[in-house]
Amino acid sequence: MPNLKKKYEIKAKDFIRAGEGAIQTQSTLKSIGFEPDIVRRASICAYESEMNVVMHGGDGTLSLTVDGTWIIIEVRDNGPGIEDIDLALKEGYSTASTEYREMGFGAGMGLPNIKKNADSFEIHSGEGKGTYLKMAFRVSENGE
Amino acid sequence: MGSDIFKNGTPFRYVQIDEGLCNGCVLCMKACPTKAIRVKDGKVACIEGVCIDCGECIRVCPRAAIRPITTKAYDFKESRYSTVSASTVLYVQFGEEVMPNEVLLALRKMGFSYVHDQAYTNEMFNVAMELYIRENRNKAGTPWPLISPVCPVVVRLIAYRFPSLLGHLPPLANPREIVAREAKKRLSVKYGCRPEEIKVLHISPCPAKMICIEEPVLQEHSYLDGTIGICDIYDTLRKHIRELDEDKVLHHSGGVGLGWAMAGGETAGLEIEGLAVSGLQETIRYLEKIEMGLLQDIDYMEFRVCTEGCLDGPFTVADKYQAKHHLQRLVRMFGVEKRVKYGYVKGLYEKGWFFTDKKDVELTGKAPRFSIAEGIERQNRVEKILETLPQKECGVCGSPDCRTFAEDVVDGKASLESCFYL
Repeated sequence: MPNLKKKYEIKAKDFIRAGEGAIQTQSTLKSIGFEPDIVRRASICAYESEMNVVMHGGDGTLSLTVDGTWIIIEVRDNGPGIEDIDLALKEGYSTASTEYREMGFGAGMGLPNIKKNADSFEIHSGEGKGTYLKMAFRVSENGE
Repeated sequence: MGSDIFKNGTPFRYVQIDEGLCNGCVLCMKACPTKAIRVKDGKVACIEGVCIDCGECIRVCPRAAIRPITTKAYDFKESRYSTVSASTVLYVQFGEEVMPNEVLLALRKMGFSYVHDQAYTNEMFNVAMELYIRENRNKAGTPWPLISPVCPVVVRLIAYRFPSLLGHLPPLANPREIVAREAKKRLSVKYGCRPEEIKVLHISPCPAKMICIEEPVLQEHSYLDGTIGICDIYDTLRKHIRELDEDKVLHHSGGVGLGWAMAGGETAGLEIEGLAVSGLQETIRYLEKIEMGLLQDIDYMEFRVCTEGCLDGPFTVADKYQAKHHLQRLVRMFGVEKRVKYGYVKGLYEKGWFFTDKKDVELTGKAPRFSIAEGIERQNRVEKILETLPQKECGVCGSPDCRTFAEDVVDGKASLESCFYL
């Protein structure tokens, strides 16, 4: 089975280009011919995780790996890391500044939303160690 | 090799190219939002199943070589009972001295047996949409925000490029379809004929209405029999306006229903959380956002692909900003309230009057279907070719940009030698 790999840079605090990696991911998945539902779930996760890096994480990367059975999105950054992962996964928990909340972000739904939309989800983080997020989406035979 | 699309003529469906006027420049190809156009050896062609009939090509062509196909007015003189409804854009095409009622009277003078005030139905639709949103807002399973089904290009854009958003289109029928359906029903009783004998025509600022009649996405079939561009009847209608000798009230709406012709006009009449987005690129941007699960706290999105809304449609005659000024004055004059009776509309809503006859809106887009393995292979080949291209996006090869050219090469629709730089 052939595979495809793509990588996008994410810049901290760059709100002009924020979300670009997710949009590119969405467009690549559409061109390959995946069904709308899996494309939608994958792009929600790509967007949420990309925004997390832009807001909290410092610089990072978003990588997309696709083969016939999985769509895998990995996002890593060299930011401050997450102190308490269990807490960060709770709906409504947020460490975003007032400024970000005023921009419409930081409602504490990012990670919970990712967990809800990905078929499998892994997170590794610790104070001062940056954050690594792996989200996988299972591809059924007809691309759904 | 490869340029098959040129061999079979130009499969544009509702636009025609005047080859005598076209000089093979690339403006239409560059402007096309779905990358449906190619220009090769001075000839323009359209890839089937990709065009959404938005009319951008008509708008940008400096030689007026691209013309839309609409129904001609004389086709209707043949039928015994002809009915017309006009986009409210028509109401503001004749300068500030002319009132909506005069425009409707002039349409009658043109020979239509029945003239309907579309603005009034717009207000009814506003009320019905509020009722639908209140009824469904807290139900599980409805995706939010809902997307207005009014702009035909947006509906097509969703069907072709954003099929995952089809569920965001509410099951309410378009106001112009409601008008046509009711006209057929009521007038056939009045005249004692079959509903099909009542011909209903829509006067429109927009080239995409024709395709909505031939290939509707949100209806089983369209109740309309044809559309005429505003520009096609402008002169005749203006003459009739000057010579009006009749005095009858045909215009019934308030300012809300009239305001629909402007971007933001539909949401202005809704007492819910609505956002109005206009312009093709902005529309695409916001559809992408909705696809990524954003904007769920909004109830309703009004999208219009023309920047100023329907006032800006390719078939309009009056300057869009002057027309907008005129319309804003009319809205103040007729009041920023709906004139429809709430209880009456609610009764109709509960009887299902506003709903479309189509139960499931399925995907109508004809995206190339291949297996995921083939899709990945194709994508990798596209990326590889793209690396060798200059990415100057010049369009000399005949494809709108380097990425699309790479795709065309992989799909056998273009050859690599066509690149000016390689």
